[in-house]
Amino acid sequence: MSNDIDSELNQWLEMLQSSDLSDRLVAVKSLQYLGDEDALEPLIAALGDESLAVQKLAVTALWELANPKAVPALLECLASPDLEIRAEALSALGELISPDRLLLLLDALHRDDLNMQLNVLILLRKIHDVQSLPYVLPFFESENAQLREAAVTTLRYLNQVERCDRAIPLLSDPDDSVRRATVLTLGHLVDSEVVPRLCQVLTSDLDWQVRRNAAKSLELHADPAAVVALELAIADEHWQVRKFALQAWQKTPDNRTMPILIQALTDEYSDVRREAAKSLAALKNPAALNALQQSLDDPDRDVCIYTQRAIETIQAATKEISNA
Amino acid sequence: MALITQRVDVPVIVDESKCLEKCTACIEVCPLDVLAKNPETGKAYMKYDECWFCLPCEKECPTNAITVQIPFLLR
Repeated sequence: MSNDIDSELNQWLEMLQSSDLSDRLVAVKSLQYLGDEDALEPLIAALGDESLAVQKLAVTALWELANPKAVPALLECLASPDLEIRAEALSALGELISPDRLLLLLDALHRDDLNMQLNVLILLRKIHDVQSLPYVLPFFESENAQLREAAVTTLRYLNQVERCDRAIPLLSDPDDSVRRATVLTLGHLVDSEVVPRLCQVLTSDLDWQVRRNAAKSLELHADPAAVVALELAIADEHWQVRKFALQAWQKTPDNRTMPILIQALTDEYSDVRREAAKSLAALKNPAALNALQQSLDDPDRDVCIYTQRAIETIQAATKEISNA
Repeated sequence: MALITQRVDVPVIVDESKCLEKCTACIEVCPLDVLAKNPETGKAYMKYDECWFCLPCEKECPTNAITVQIPFLLR
């Protein structure tokens, strides 16, 4: 039996050296199915094949073999001129990379290649090691927006990072995607000093996705200092900003905003109406009962259920107070 | 399973100009074993009129020679 496998393996390994492209394609595909560890070195060598199709299949085969010895060779594929090879290698490394390869990744980050740097920044998110922070920070000043976005997103995944002053200027980045990533990252840091900046972004950024992400971040911070900005955001022109502002607001309920919440019960988007009902439940103020009663016949079933729950919550809270 | 008599209206379409004679990837991955090699040309073809539209044949083909036409109502 093992002799049969060996002879089959040798047959494909021999074919992998053929000058005929179709032979090499068949060989690399067959080696992928065979899954024999002895094919590791030939498959690594096939990553340097002149044909991009063979290279891509070799990456897939190495991914399936899942041998950590292939990591350095796969890392080189991250700089391939072919998009499909880069994407396949990135997916493979996403599963094969381990924290002991951190230095290898940091070395690769120094290479003057945009694709390599971009992909390594993505891979660093799998390792979460704060040691990579000094290597990530210089990319905040990169001229390339993709690198700035990747770096600030990676920052979010690094353990033990509580504040990062160098990320704050990216809130005024000219590129929308960089600003979107930056506001989300600042939500994941524990630094409460960023709350006023997030509030400013929430009320004044021109891109609605940046404003929405700012609302999401403020929900994570749950800082009462954001109430005024959230109040303004509940009247934002985009429904997603209104929805996430209401969600953030639920973390720091404030009776002063009740009239705005009651108004939000009549919003044209049902998601916003649902969040308004949940927010009124969080307030537990009986003055909202009348408005909630009127929302019980909302055309959206979800809104009706949450309105009913809000009414029950407020009634239970009122009863508790009167009993006390 | 019914044999295919005409190869013009089957869901798995093989581009014979791309299909490699020594390759059997699509035949090996097909869960229904409906693909086979044409002994005359050495190219893969759909032998039986049965398909789950599961797509590994299309995905595994090293030369992208296979196209699976999924019926409109299954899309």
